[in-house]
Amino acid sequence: MAARNERLARLPLWLALAFLSLFVLVPLAVLVFETLWSQDGFTLDAWRALADDENAVEQLLASLRLGVAATCISAVLGAGHAWLTVARDMPGRSWLGPLGVAPLVVPPIFIAMAFSDLVQDVAGFWPCAILLGVAHAPFVAVLTTRGLRTVDGRAYEAALLLRGRGPADRWLLRSIAPELIAGCLLAFLFTVAEHGVPEFLTVKGKTWHTYAEGIFSRWSRRAVGTTHAELQSPIVAALPFLAALGCMLWAALRLRASNPDRGVIRPLPVQTLGKLRWPALLLPITYLGAGVFLPLFVLTRWVLGSAQRLDPMGLDYARESFAKAMDQGLPDLMHSLYLGLGVAAVVVLLAIPLARQSARRWPLLDLLTSLPAAMPAILLGIALARTFNSNPGIGWTNFDFYESWGFAVCGYAVRFLPFAALTLASQVRRQSIAAEEAGRFVQRSASSRALRLHVLPLMPAAWSAFVLSFVLALRELDLAVMLPAANATAVRRLANAVHFQHEDWSGVIALLLLSAAVLLPLLPSLLAGRKLSSLS
Amino acid sequence: MTLAVSIQQLQCSRGQFRLGPVDLQVPAGARVAIVGPSGSGKTTLLRCLAGLQAPDSGTIQIGDTIVDDGQTRLAPAERHVGLVFQDGALWPHMTALKHLRFAAPGLSKQDALALLDRGGILSQANKKPGAMSGGEAQRLGLLRALAPAPSVLLLDEPLRSVDVHQRDGLVLLLRSMCDERNVTSILVTHDRDEALALADYLVVMRDGQLVEQGPSIDLLEDPQTAFTAAFLRGAACLSAKANGNGQVQTPFGNFPAPDAAKANSDMRLVVFPGETTADEQGEGPEAQILAVTPSEGDGLRLRVACEDQIVIARAATRPTGATTRLRLTAKPRLLPWHNHATEPQS
Repeated sequence: MAARNERLARLPLWLALAFLSLFVLVPLAVLVFETLWSQDGFTLDAWRALADDENAVEQLLASLRLGVAATCISAVLGAGHAWLTVARDMPGRSWLGPLGVAPLVVPPIFIAMAFSDLVQDVAGFWPCAILLGVAHAPFVAVLTTRGLRTVDGRAYEAALLLRGRGPADRWLLRSIAPELIAGCLLAFLFTVAEHGVPEFLTVKGKTWHTYAEGIFSRWSRRAVGTTHAELQSPIVAALPFLAALGCMLWAALRLRASNPDRGVIRPLPVQTLGKLRWPALLLPITYLGAGVFLPLFVLTRWVLGSAQRLDPMGLDYARESFAKAMDQGLPDLMHSLYLGLGVAAVVVLLAIPLARQSARRWPLLDLLTSLPAAMPAILLGIALARTFNSNPGIGWTNFDFYESWGFAVCGYAVRFLPFAALTLASQVRRQSIAAEEAGRFVQRSASSRALRLHVLPLMPAAWSAFVLSFVLALRELDLAVMLPAANATAVRRLANAVHFQHEDWSGVIALLLLSAAVLLPLLPSLLAGRKLSSLS
Repeated sequence: MTLAVSIQQLQCSRGQFRLGPVDLQVPAGARVAIVGPSGSGKTTLLRCLAGLQAPDSGTIQIGDTIVDDGQTRLAPAERHVGLVFQDGALWPHMTALKHLRFAAPGLSKQDALALLDRGGILSQANKKPGAMSGGEAQRLGLLRALAPAPSVLLLDEPLRSVDVHQRDGLVLLLRSMCDERNVTSILVTHDRDEALALADYLVVMRDGQLVEQGPSIDLLEDPQTAFTAAFLRGAACLSAKANGNGQVQTPFGNFPAPDAAKANSDMRLVVFPGETTADEQGEGPEAQILAVTPSEGDGLRLRVACEDQIVIARAATRPTGATTRLRLTAKPRLLPWHNHATEPQS
C-alpha cells in the first residue's frame, strides 16, 4: 500500500515529464528530422540551401543586432528604474517601484500600434529596437529589484565606510550582477524571438527582416511552390541559434538561482539624489510613459473615435465603440481569457512537480524545462504543427486535437512553462530541507504529505507563476498566428483589425484585455491587503 | 534489560567521510547523548537511525522490529521514532495546532490543545512559526515529534537555536515529557553542557568511531581517553614519551609506563582543570600567563599556555605585575595505552 501511495505521489511528475517529451522533445526531433528527410529520402539539401542563402545569414545578424540594441535600452530603463526606486530617494518611489512590472502586461504589439498612431512613418531598425527595449525592460527591472533587495545593507555600508561611494557602488553592481545579467538575457531572448512587432513594422514600410520573419514567411509560402530545401533552410539556420539561446537562457537561470534570498538582512540604505531628485523622475516617466501610458492614451483615443477623425471626440462615440466591441470582439476577448486561464492552470500544475524535482534531485531538468523559452514562438509553433497536424500516429480517433483548444492550451503552456518552473524551483530551493524531512515522520500517505507539505507552501509562488503565465498568454501573438485554435484570440484579431479601420472597437477590446491582465495580479492586494511591492 | 535501540556493525559513507563500524545498544527509557566535534559522524548516525539516510551495511533494531538490515528498510514514518531538528524545521504555512494534528493523524483537537498546554505554548495555538520566538518554535518542534507517541525520541542539537535564558525551561520540559511518556531519548550534540543537561549516558564519537561510552558521571570522573577528557572536561593533553626503562618522561616528572608501552612511543599526559596550581616557586613545567580571572572558590583562576596547550590552573595569590611566567604543579594522569590510538595528536 505504501509503495502504491509513493507511486501515486509521483504521478504528477511522470505526467509533466511526458508532457515535456511530447510537446518539446518530440516536436524538436521532428523538426531536425525533417531538415534531413524529404519525399526523396535522406538529403542535405536544406543545409546546402542555407549555405547558398545570404538572406538567412543577414536575417540572423539583423536579429542579433536588434537583440543587442533592444537589450541595452531595456537595461538602461529597467536597471535604472530599479536602482532609483530601491536605493535612491526619488519622489514617489514607493508606488513607482511596483509599477516597474507594468509594461509586461501590455503586449508589445500594442506599444508598436500606439507609436505608429502618434508618430508618422515609425519604421526601421531603431524604432523597432526602442519599442522592444521598452516592452522587455520589465524583465530587467524586476530581477534587478530582486537583486537589490537581497543585498545586505550592512555590507554596502561597510564598503561605503572603508572605500567611499565609488568603490561601494561598484561592489553593489558586482553583487547584483547575476540578477542584472539574467534580466538582460531574458530581454534579449524575447527580443530576438519576437515576430509580431517587426512584422507589424514591415507593413509600415520597414525594409529589413529578422530571422523569425524569415522562418514565418517561408512557412506561409509552403503551399505555393516552395521547395523542401527552401522551406527548411531557415529552420536549419535557427537550430544552432536555438542551441546558443538555450545555453544563454540556462546560464541566466543558473545565475539567478546562484543569488538566492539570504536570511535576515538589512535593506540597502536609501541615499539622496540631491539636486537630481526631481529630474530623476524623467527616467520612470519615460519608461512607464512609453510602456504603459502612451498605449493606454492611444487606445482611449481610438475608443473615442480618433481613427475616424471625429471632431470633437466624445463619449457618445465611445458608447458606439463599446457596442461594436461587444458585437464583434467579445467572443475573441472571452477566447483569450479562457485560453489564458487554461494555460495558467496547466502551467502551474506542470511546473510544481518539475520545479520540485529540479530543485531537489535533477538540476539538469532546468535545462530541459527552459528549452521552449529559448525557441522563437514561431519555430515552436511550426514544430508543434509539423508534429500534430494530421499526424497518422494520433489520427486514430475522430477527434481533431490539432484544431482543438486543448492543443492551443498545450502549445502556450509549453512556451510559458519555463518561467513558472523557474519561479517555483527558486522558491523550493529557499525552503528548508529539514522541514521536508520532518514530514517523512508523519504517518500519512505520500500523496497527503506531498500535498500538505510540498505543494501548499508553494502556493504564493504558484500564484505568481499563474499570474505571469496568464499575462504572457494574453499578450502572446506569435503562437496565436501559428496554432489554429488560437487564431481567434483578441491580440491576434486586434493586430489585424487595425489594418481595416476597426480601431474604435479594437481599442475597447484592448482596454478590456489590459484590465483583465491587471486585475489578476492586483487581486491579492485588493482582497488580502498584500503590499503592492510584492508585485515586483 | 529491554533494548529500545540496537545498532550492530553499522557503516555508512558519505563522500570522503566513513562512519563505523558502530555498535551501540540503548536500553528502554534511557537518556543517551552522542557527543563529539563537528564531522565526528554523530549526525550521520542519527540520520541512519531515523531512516533519513541509508547505511551501507549493518543492522538497526528499534524495539522488537528490525528497521534496517540491508534487505528491510523501513521508511521514517514506520519506525515509531520522533525527531526534533536543531532549527525546529517547522512547516511555515501551518499553525501550531495544525502542526500537531497533521503530525498525529488520530489526534483530536482537544488532545492537541492539551498537548500545546503541556508544552506551555497554548497561546500560540493559532500562530504560525514565523510569529513565534526561537524557544516557542523549538517547544513546538518537540511537541510535534512527541504527538504521534513514538517509542524513541531523537534530538539533533535541540537547544542550539534557543536563547540562553530559554534553555532551562526547554530542558526541564524535555526531560519531564520523556519521563511521563517513558520515551527513550537519543541526543546528538557537540555541546557538553547540552549533553549533560539532557542525558545520563554519554557516547563519545570521533572520526566516525565510538571512542568511549558510559554513564555521564563515570565519563566525567574517570575518562579512559585523552580525547574524552579534553572534550568533556576541557583537560589539557601534553605530549609524553615512554623510555625503555619502564618510565614515561613528562614535563611533570617521570611516571611508570603502562605495561604495553614501547620505547620512544608517544603518549598523552592529561591535566585536568582544578587539579593544577601555578606559582613562581614550583618545580613543574614553565607556563605563560594568558588570563587571570576570579575563581569560584578561594584564589584566582589562571589560563596559561604550556607546551602548545592551554591549561586552567589555580593560584593562591595574584602574580606580581612583572611576572609573565609561572611554574605548574599538577596531579596529571597517564591514560591507558590501548586507548591512545584515538587521541588527539597535539
